[in-house]
Amino acid sequence: MSDRPLIDIEQVGKDYLSGPEVVHALAGVDLAVHSGEFVAIVGASGSGKSTLMNILGCLDRPTRGTYRLAGVDVTRRTADARAIVRNRLIGFVFQGFNLLPRTTALENVELPLVYRGVSARQRRRQARHALEQVGLAERAGHTPAQLSGGQQQRVAIARALVTQPPVLLADEPTGNLDTRTSHEVLALLQNLVRESGITIALVTHEADIAACASRTVTMRDGRIERDEPNREPRDAAAWAAMPHGAVDAAMLSGPGP
Amino acid sequence: MNRLWSSLRLAFSALMRRKARASLTALGILIGIAAVVVVTALGTGARERIGSQIESLGSNLLFVFSQPVAKSGARGRPGAEMALTDRDAAAIHRDASAVSAVTVYSEVKAQVVSEYDNAKIGVMGVDKYYYPVRGFSVDDGRMWTDSEEQTKAKVCLIGQTAIDKLFGNVDPVGRYLRIGRHPFRVIGTLKAKGQSPFEDQDDRILMPIGSWRARVSPTLGDRVMLIMASAKTAARTGQAKRQIEGIVRQRHHIAEGDEDDFKVRTQEQFKKSHDAVFNILTALLVSVAGIALFVGGVGVMNIMLVSVTERTREIGIRMAIGAKRHDIQLQFLVESIALTLFGGLAGIALAVGLIVLIHRTVGWTMRLSPEAVIVALVTSVLVGLVFGFLPARRAARLDPIDALRHE
Repeated sequence: MSDRPLIDIEQVGKDYLSGPEVVHALAGVDLAVHSGEFVAIVGASGSGKSTLMNILGCLDRPTRGTYRLAGVDVTRRTADARAIVRNRLIGFVFQGFNLLPRTTALENVELPLVYRGVSARQRRRQARHALEQVGLAERAGHTPAQLSGGQQQRVAIARALVTQPPVLLADEPTGNLDTRTSHEVLALLQNLVRESGITIALVTHEADIAACASRTVTMRDGRIERDEPNREPRDAAAWAAMPHGAVDAAMLSGPGP
Repeated sequence: MNRLWSSLRLAFSALMRRKARASLTALGILIGIAAVVVVTALGTGARERIGSQIESLGSNLLFVFSQPVAKSGARGRPGAEMALTDRDAAAIHRDASAVSAVTVYSEVKAQVVSEYDNAKIGVMGVDKYYYPVRGFSVDDGRMWTDSEEQTKAKVCLIGQTAIDKLFGNVDPVGRYLRIGRHPFRVIGTLKAKGQSPFEDQDDRILMPIGSWRARVSPTLGDRVMLIMASAKTAARTGQAKRQIEGIVRQRHHIAEGDEDDFKVRTQEQFKKSHDAVFNILTALLVSVAGIALFVGGVGVMNIMLVSVTERTREIGIRMAIGAKRHDIQLQFLVESIALTLFGGLAGIALAVGLIVLIHRTVGWTMRLSPEAVIVALVTSVLVGLVFGFLPARRAARLDPIDALRHE
């Protein structure tokens, strides 16, 4: 953990025009995330967590405030400059997986490298390695339609990892998965933080998913309501290994939010 | 280069996913390009054919023909429209320094009878200069002699088409044919010359002008239909024309400012006026074919817009993982160009097939120039570029967040 935060946003605000009314989706947010942290961002719908995620991912620009990513001010960059930042520094994992249909897992994973101008042979090598990391090397030739939801999300994680970005942003990554598969995916993310020191910001509205992170940021009405470390994160691998009934029982009796 | 290659592969696989749609869209371009190529080939072929026919008339030719002056509504007596005479031709030969040879020519379509068959054939009275001026030569037999010309002997030479009509496969030399009341002896045959813009140059019988006046068309006196002159060189054609005009005006007593009763045209003028006609015709047909191509292009634009809308989510994903605007724009542009180029190639193939087919069945001369093929290919690429630009730009300007949310 270095002294300078990897993600550093100061007084970030975002306004939308909804008809004649101005909606303050974000109303002055300060957040600093250091390298190697696993941050869960929770909150009700409309709390501003998705807007925050879009700004963190350089998909959107804040109306006010500054955003420094890896020491670089990316607040007001052009669309193309932000595309480069996304390609170099950020990996995305989405709720709907967002893989290209009718395209093999390997080709999906290669895609970010295409926009980086990497040669075909090098792309193939790196993409295979990333698929190995998520345990799907033998499914390289399958298209998304031939894969289960959990497998698709692991391909998406491989695609996010293939450029070896410092930051991985996950927007409701388990929203479309059943409980067991959710824990498998989370186990994979926890393992990545441990092994490769990647920094993860994860948006969720499920308390037991947030419990796997090392820090929980709670949003409400466009502000950060609570920001607290999670001293004993849940080990998702252990949960995933439990028999089905036991998982449900443990969840019911587990620590509340 | 690497990026362009992967764009091409990407475009190809995107098109292959929707084969039926891509083929139907390309069909519009195919028809447009094929129409342009076929029409151009027709125009070029026709122009070349007319050009070579005019060449085949002879070299550096000038044509002098009568042009009756309409002084009143009344028409003169028959033959009055023939204002030119033998003596005009002789004067041109004597006085025009830029002219190397002069010949006269009169023709009637007459019923000609041989021992085998009969047919209506152009019978021409000419002098011996007609041969070098018009580029005719004797194939078999012989030319008439000076004494035969002076004595208005009943001899003639016969062209290849006329031989077919009257004698079939029989050698005509030494045989007789009858025109009106008079029998004529065939003393020779003419070398084949082919089509001119006006007529089949081999469907003719030539005889001395004296014999023609005496026996075929005795009412005309020394008047001739046409005087043909050969300029000494191509460069002196203009000079020859002015000299001829001067001589004939003087001989016909035409005052300064009065209208000529004759006209001089050069071979070059014939060629130019024919070229002009064909250029206009070709331009007209090409613009009609161009409309077909334009409609095809609009079809491409339409399909590309549909494709961009359908793949909005894909565009969002690509943008999220680092595609810049021009990456997206290039992807869709390459796709539309691949579509039109495919249509263009197929269109050229269809055009080649049609050209061969038309040539074999209808017998039109068509010329497919390499330039036309290159222009067709460049055009199909341009159509893809122009009509793909708007959809590609629309794709590139999508907001990544909206695109990702698109269902």
